Amino acid sequence: MVARGRIVWVSGPAVKADGMSSTKMYETVEVGESKLIGEVIRLTGDVGFVQVYESTSGLKPGEPVVGTGQPLSVLLGPGIIGRIYDGIQRPLVEMAQKTGDFIGRGIATTPVDMKKKYKFIPTAKKGEAIQAGSILGTVQETPLLTHSILVPPNYRGGTIRDIANEGEYDINQVIANTEQNGLKTELRMYHKWPVRRPRPYAERYDPSVPLITGQRIIDTYFPIAKGGTGAIPGGFGTGKTVTLHQIAKWADSKVVVYIGCGERGNEMTEVLVEFPHLLDPRSGRPLMERTVLVANTSNMPVAAREASIYTGVTIAEYYRDMGFDVVLVADSTSRWAEALREMSGRLEEMPAEEGYPSYLASRLAEFYERAGRVRALGSPDRAGSVTLVGAVSPSGADFTEPVTTHTIRFIKTFWALDTRLAYSRHYPSINWMQSYSGYLEDVSKWWKQNISADWYELRAESYEILQREDTLKEIVRLLGPEALPDEEKLVLELARMIKIGILQQNSFDNVDTYCSPEKQLKLVRLMIKFYKEAQKALREGTPLSDIRAMPIITTLLKAKFEIPDDQVSKLDDIDKRLTEEFHKSVSQEEAKIVV
Amino acid sequence: MSETVGIEYTKVAEIKGPLMIIDGITKASFDELVEIESTDGERRLGKVLEVGNGKAVVQVFEGTTGLAISGTKAKFLGKTMTMPVSQELLGRVFDGLGRPNDSLPDPVADRFIDVNGEPMNPERREYPTSFIQTGVSVIDGMLTLVRGQKLPIFSGSGMPHNILAAQIARQASVVGTKEDFAVVFAAIGVQYSEAQYFKRSLEESGALRRSVLFLNLADDPAIERIITPRVALTVAEYLAFDLGMHVLAILTDMTNYAEALREISAAREEVPGRKGYPGYLYTDLANNYERAGRIKGKNGSVTQVPILSMPADDITHPIPDLTGYITEGQIVLGRDLFRKGIYPSVNVLMSLSRLMKDGVGEGKTRADHMEVGNQLYDAYSRAQEVRALAEIVGKAGLTGVDLKYLEAGDLFEKHFLKQNQDENRTLEETLGRAWEVLSSLPEGELTKIKEKNVRQYYKGKQ
Amino acid sequence: MQLMSSNSALERTVNKVLSEKESDLIAQIDSAYHESMNNLESSRESIESEYERIIDSAKKQAENLKRQIIGSTRLNARNKQLLLVEGAVNEVFEKAKLAMRSVGRDENYKQLMNRLVDEGLSAIGNDNMIIECNKTDTELVKKLTAFTDRQKKIKLALSEKPIDVIGGVRVRSADLTLTYDGTLDSRIERLKPLIRKSIVQMLRGES
Repeated sequence: MVARGRIVWVSGPAVKADGMSSTKMYETVEVGESKLIGEVIRLTGDVGFVQVYESTSGLKPGEPVVGTGQPLSVLLGPGIIGRIYDGIQRPLVEMAQKTGDFIGRGIATTPVDMKKKYKFIPTAKKGEAIQAGSILGTVQETPLLTHSILVPPNYRGGTIRDIANEGEYDINQVIANTEQNGLKTELRMYHKWPVRRPRPYAERYDPSVPLITGQRIIDTYFPIAKGGTGAIPGGFGTGKTVTLHQIAKWADSKVVVYIGCGERGNEMTEVLVEFPHLLDPRSGRPLMERTVLVANTSNMPVAAREASIYTGVTIAEYYRDMGFDVVLVADSTSRWAEALREMSGRLEEMPAEEGYPSYLASRLAEFYERAGRVRALGSPDRAGSVTLVGAVSPSGADFTEPVTTHTIRFIKTFWALDTRLAYSRHYPSINWMQSYSGYLEDVSKWWKQNISADWYELRAESYEILQREDTLKEIVRLLGPEALPDEEKLVLELARMIKIGILQQNSFDNVDTYCSPEKQLKLVRLMIKFYKEAQKALREGTPLSDIRAMPIITTLLKAKFEIPDDQVSKLDDIDKRLTEEFHKSVSQEEAKIVV
Repeated sequence: MSETVGIEYTKVAEIKGPLMIIDGITKASFDELVEIESTDGERRLGKVLEVGNGKAVVQVFEGTTGLAISGTKAKFLGKTMTMPVSQELLGRVFDGLGRPNDSLPDPVADRFIDVNGEPMNPERREYPTSFIQTGVSVIDGMLTLVRGQKLPIFSGSGMPHNILAAQIARQASVVGTKEDFAVVFAAIGVQYSEAQYFKRSLEESGALRRSVLFLNLADDPAIERIITPRVALTVAEYLAFDLGMHVLAILTDMTNYAEALREISAAREEVPGRKGYPGYLYTDLANNYERAGRIKGKNGSVTQVPILSMPADDITHPIPDLTGYITEGQIVLGRDLFRKGIYPSVNVLMSLSRLMKDGVGEGKTRADHMEVGNQLYDAYSRAQEVRALAEIVGKAGLTGVDLKYLEAGDLFEKHFLKQNQDENRTLEETLGRAWEVLSSLPEGELTKIKEKNVRQYYKGKQ
Repeated sequence: MQLMSSNSALERTVNKVLSEKESDLIAQIDSAYHESMNNLESSRESIESEYERIIDSAKKQAENLKRQIIGSTRLNARNKQLLLVEGAVNEVFEKAKLAMRSVGRDENYKQLMNRLVDEGLSAIGNDNMIIECNKTDTELVKKLTAFTDRQKKIKLALSEKPIDVIGGVRVRSADLTLTYDGTLDSRIERLKPLIRKSIVQMLRGES
């Protein structure tokens, strides 16, 4: 029995209705004459407290509130990839067709095209016993993605009585009939899943494979593993969004879910404009063929912002369950937390720090807990992962504010963006002294096996130079650089070279935007080689000024954008030149001494 | 327009701050417009913030001063607040609520538009890419403004933000086009002289007849300021997307807007966020700032230049902080440059234009534009570091390259940044000056510029 | 001879010196001439450029002034037109109101009044209400309210004091805290912006 209540109170996105005793917590309801979508978030007696996902302007007491009997759910099936949704999985393209350039209210749509035919190829057979999560067959969702049709995770098991032959079907058609103990079930190409409930899996694995993002400071210095968690906190203008865009563009995952949560409209547009034209460096196909966008921009209703995170992560889990590596980027979790705060304020709950509700930490924990590399339910055996990366927008760039401090507790990779670096246009402005990765040891095996045995050492050596510079900087600040011995001045010079030549990466440059692991390694190796050669030359009497004037330096610093990934062998030429130049300078020194 | 007649109520239960709580409400809706009549017949406007259980909380725009519990009538108008729009609005002056302020009749409306606007569907947005030449070197060269962008000016008391905004309004043009443009100017709690300066500047450039002005001055009701940017942006959207004009919307000063918001929040006894500002300040600001952009298949655009004064020049104050998270960059004015007498006193290191990358480059401006901008930032940032160092260790403690940076920093301020208030520089001139600054550095320092561009433009000695 | 020769040598020397001096002088004069010519040339150039600058800035100013004058003239003309139109609109309004006052209370009007009473009663929704109307309509409203069977459930009184309106009714709760304004006057006021638009269109010959 669905509830039929009446509005008794309205204030912004918060509505109270009476006559709601038969409704359930987190049930979706239709609010008012114009059937706005809302969700029940508190029940007191027969008064239900509803958060409304659309503008409540003009809503008045007395209007009806009707339950749907369903919790807030997403539709999972082929047709999701390449789309842009609002926070509650309504497709923005269809919404524009109904209400024009601006988002109207009370629009009913389906998340995917229910009439589109897909070529279904069955993999399960008649008479086979199947369990929850098993694969029934496949359809080609995009040229880049073979979509497995999954048995819903809440299915109780049974035997296939009959399954559709290979052929064209729309997703509403029944493709399999199953039976267990006389209980018959019809299975279609889609199912629904409540967004606030994590999708189940069989077993959790430890993350061990790095997510390659093509961003040097991430991959080489602060890597994240597939199935891992990471956060990017930073003040405005520090490049959170650009960094997230870079991860969404170049990460070596099969599917990317991008959530624009309370951020700028033009940023979503940018993704929509760019991704269809950008090619995945591995498959050569447009990035849009692996991307799903969830957009709830800052001017869209605030309650739907809260839902958008769950909508996104549920979609990500669905593709994980097919055995894919999925990356979800959420920009920004702070806006999501603010939505929680706003609703909490309207519920007149007792606030904790800075007005945020006391359950902020547990909600953040629940969200990041949905990351992981898992063995999926059902057969055949397959592993997939969801990597979660969240931006945090601390007010006043103050990392001690509640959202940042709580987030840090639940993530393993921390990329701290630094306002001062951004001011000097050091991008990505990830501070190498504050950031850390808890996956470094886990992924070093992969690097050693796939790229080079000395990866870990090279990384450590180059990072040590940066650390030494950090301490030396204090002395320089007080006494000036000339107060240091040449050996230490060389450290400063090297740190400068590593900062410009490796850490800084121009995402708007065609070449520099993505840097393959091979190139990353070679660049680091060149720097270390330069350092060792320079140390040697110094000891042999070459003045530091001569080393600083070596033309090879500019070449090293520009190699990142002058040498594209498909010509990495040119870096070996630079290696040779480097040796030669040092040889020359040293022999000149020797010549001088002889004279 | 709705045919329904609203009801007039006289049971005022409570008046506190800008709020009036009315009892015995039978029919009222959230956001509904309310006309309040005081005992002496004076009429004011308000809107419903909260309704239910027989009560309505009404926010009175003109303030509650002089209203009494008994004898005050509140008429619920059965509609939300709208702004009448038509082409005739151009050349007109309105008050902060959108009522005529120029002794001319109410505009004859083409349409009535809800001042709250609706969120633009991100899928329908056209990504902004056309470069607007402002003739101001530091903006064109390093902080390029693009049509449909929202780029605020962060200023401090007494600094020349209005002069800069007026110069942008006078000089802004898209090179090689002759399209319809308009200026929408919203004064939000600013002094009469500031509003007058702006009006005169528009008048002198003959642009007044292509402008719409909304004036809520310092001595006008504070709560009215909640509406001023909304009516202004409603008109801007109409001019842009109904009439196809390129609109530059200047909102000054958004700090006064946020303070009005705080006043209401305090009166409602809401749980405050930082510095007493409501937790929804971000969302509320976004609802204004996001009303900029372009729409697929439509000619016009809304480019927003909000101005805000940073309390105590503090960029981490919630107002500039949240604004910076929403807008597509920021132009920050610096106190020390202002004291040095440099106009425009733009602190470039703290400033940023997020859309610059999309508006410049080969085919749009010049191939080296972005790289030159980046290198200038780099050079000036280095120069500032060296300056700080030189103050401690003296010039003797600096390396030769450091000294070059000192020189480049000075040259940058005097030759590139500084310009006259009526000086309209072409982009070629701006980039030429930029290269003169960069050419004072050794070639090897230009690590952000591609070899071929260095070869073409670098004029320094090797 | 020797002297002679020496003399002539001297002379030659003198001559040579003289001629050298002369050529020097000429060269000097020449260079001075050139210099002064150059000076003149350059000063002419600088005068010209100064002149051009003055003319230029004057032109610019004139251009600005022209733009300003044209701009404000057009704006003023437009504003005068707005005022004229507004005057005409108001005239139309006043005439319409007068005409409405004298309009007969026909069947249409009766139906309208019936609707207004209905709306008013349901809007206030009290069980004790008062109806107000103008003098002319008193009888009509009396009939209308007597006619409705609402009288059975609610208490409904006709105000004794007629109000000064063109027509229509005002329904109030008995305690006078709620008022529903269903007078024609307020209707016209509310519809004025829409009516104005159509009047202006008619005036401009659009519509």
